[in-house]
Amino acid sequence: MKELFKQRIWQWVLASLILAVALACWKPYVLVEGIQRSSLYAMIALPMALVLGIVGIVNLAHGEFMMLGAYLAYWLNVHFGMDPFAAMFPAFIAFAVIGVISYLTTIKYVLGAPELNQLLLTFGLAMILQQLANLVWTSQPLKVHLGYVSASAAIGSFSFGTFEFVYVAAAAILLGGLLLFLKHTRLGQAALAVGQNPRGAKLVGINVDQTYLIIFSLSIALVGAIGAIFMTRHSIFPLVGGAYTLKSFCLIAMAGMGNLAGIAVFSLILGVSESLVLSLRGYAGWADIIFFALITGVIIVKSHQRQIR
Amino acid sequence: MKTRNRWILYAFVTALLVTLPYYTGTYLLSVAGTILIYLALALSWDMLLRSGQLSFGIAGFFGIGGYAAVLIFTNAGLNPLISILAGGAVAGVFALIIGTAVLQLRGMYFAIVTLALAEIFRVIIRNLPDLTGGPEGLVLPAAIFSGDSTSTFWLILAVAVTALIASEIFQKSRVFFALTSIRNDEVLARSSGINVFKYLVIVFAVTSAIQGIAGGAYAHVHGFVSPEGSFSLDFALLPMAMALFGGMHTTWGPVLGAVLLGIAAEFLKLQIPYGHLLVYGVIIVIAIILFPKGIVGTISQKLQAR
Repeated sequence: MKELFKQRIWQWVLASLILAVALACWKPYVLVEGIQRSSLYAMIALPMALVLGIVGIVNLAHGEFMMLGAYLAYWLNVHFGMDPFAAMFPAFIAFAVIGVISYLTTIKYVLGAPELNQLLLTFGLAMILQQLANLVWTSQPLKVHLGYVSASAAIGSFSFGTFEFVYVAAAAILLGGLLLFLKHTRLGQAALAVGQNPRGAKLVGINVDQTYLIIFSLSIALVGAIGAIFMTRHSIFPLVGGAYTLKSFCLIAMAGMGNLAGIAVFSLILGVSESLVLSLRGYAGWADIIFFALITGVIIVKSHQRQIR
Repeated sequence: MKTRNRWILYAFVTALLVTLPYYTGTYLLSVAGTILIYLALALSWDMLLRSGQLSFGIAGFFGIGGYAAVLIFTNAGLNPLISILAGGAVAGVFALIIGTAVLQLRGMYFAIVTLALAEIFRVIIRNLPDLTGGPEGLVLPAAIFSGDSTSTFWLILAVAVTALIASEIFQKSRVFFALTSIRNDEVLARSSGINVFKYLVIVFAVTSAIQGIAGGAYAHVHGFVSPEGSFSLDFALLPMAMALFGGMHTTWGPVLGAVLLGIAAEFLKLQIPYGHLLVYGVIIVIAIILFPKGIVGTISQKLQAR
């Protein structure tokens, strides 16, 4: 099973490499922009996958936590002149605390409840966070102006923005860091065990509740910090997070539960196809529909597979 | 309650509602109309919830029903009432297609697909400006019944009563027992010969059609549709909060929730114009944590325990 799985991933990697080369010759801008876009998607999806894989909860408020992280970084920038990259650290700490509070006051109570209640709860949380931002900052989009974000480079006649490669680096660091954490630290291994079988983990002496608390808070802390670098390039408004929740789930569903590396691969498909559609004159407005087509396709394929089995 | 007393109560409430336009002002009538629209949405949402499937797509089908009703009315020149029903049919067909595609994989997959629906429909509408008027939306030459508040109220009342009757029939039909058994134990339901997928698709289509009819009525009453207004989050969040607050899996829970929260919503809208939706998020979270059965469920549980 594991071998088969690996083989499938490599097929995907190979196919996307061929497509990438073709695209690089035809529309290099689309490829570069698509890779940058997909790194952002992968980065945001990873903490959500962590919670889904280990705590077993779809956090529909995931994008909203990122949105609030972006607002925090904006506030720090405007009032204290703090650079968004420096603001990642206070955002991480602040959102770790917010994660602990959210877990202890809400998430904890639905862990044993039907999936339906869990979804409704996190949806309610998402609404609370979104409307809180709406009350405090109104729906007016905000944006910081930083000199370095418009950095660009040129290869021959083709010039492109280089700043967004920060997202690529950040996504790579996050993925590497999470894999190291899960495979090579005691806490990470314990978390994986809890994700696989909570009862078994409890039997061998792992504190399951504590693991859930730590993993959930870690995920919120990470996504809050990601919010800080998200706002360097994007304008922020209360509804900005919702789409990222949906796209993150789309990537997780495509990669399969617990497959963090797969998320990186599939985010490329989403990101590059979005930037391809965005580059088509007159059809740019349809880019927001791609993730929906992908997720529907994945569900059809998956249910088909299940019937065959 | 004895059956006879219950019928007397129904007759009394119906008479009260039908004659409401004769002793209230236009403002109260429009508030009552809004509450009844939300009541229809809350009930239809809960009907699907009884099968254990969660749809966030209320606003999507509400908006699609509204757009379809307006487009059919302006392009085919049909009677507005028929166009409202046609709007419901269009929403139902959309739900049938989407349900057939994704209901094989249930739970969170279905929930998230429906969560995206309102946004996806909005993108489609915005990108077909020739048909749908694009971001500006469409304006009807005149509101239905030339804006007469009495007939308008009766129309909305009819929509709400339709949802109510559908829900009650539903509670007593084979479909209900099939759905309840799916919610309780899908494997068991499957092995007792219930075609789980078929029932779920049918119920999803029917409840979405009700939401589409509510959307069509709303569009005709207000005389316009727009991507932002017709697919507004209000039409998903409020009905959900109402049904949860009143009590899931019953007919009277959503009704009670809609009346209580609907009245509260009018005050809130005046007090906090921006961000009054916050309250509904809080209601959903508190209801799920503290009383997942809602007011009706909690009270009837207490009564039974005595």
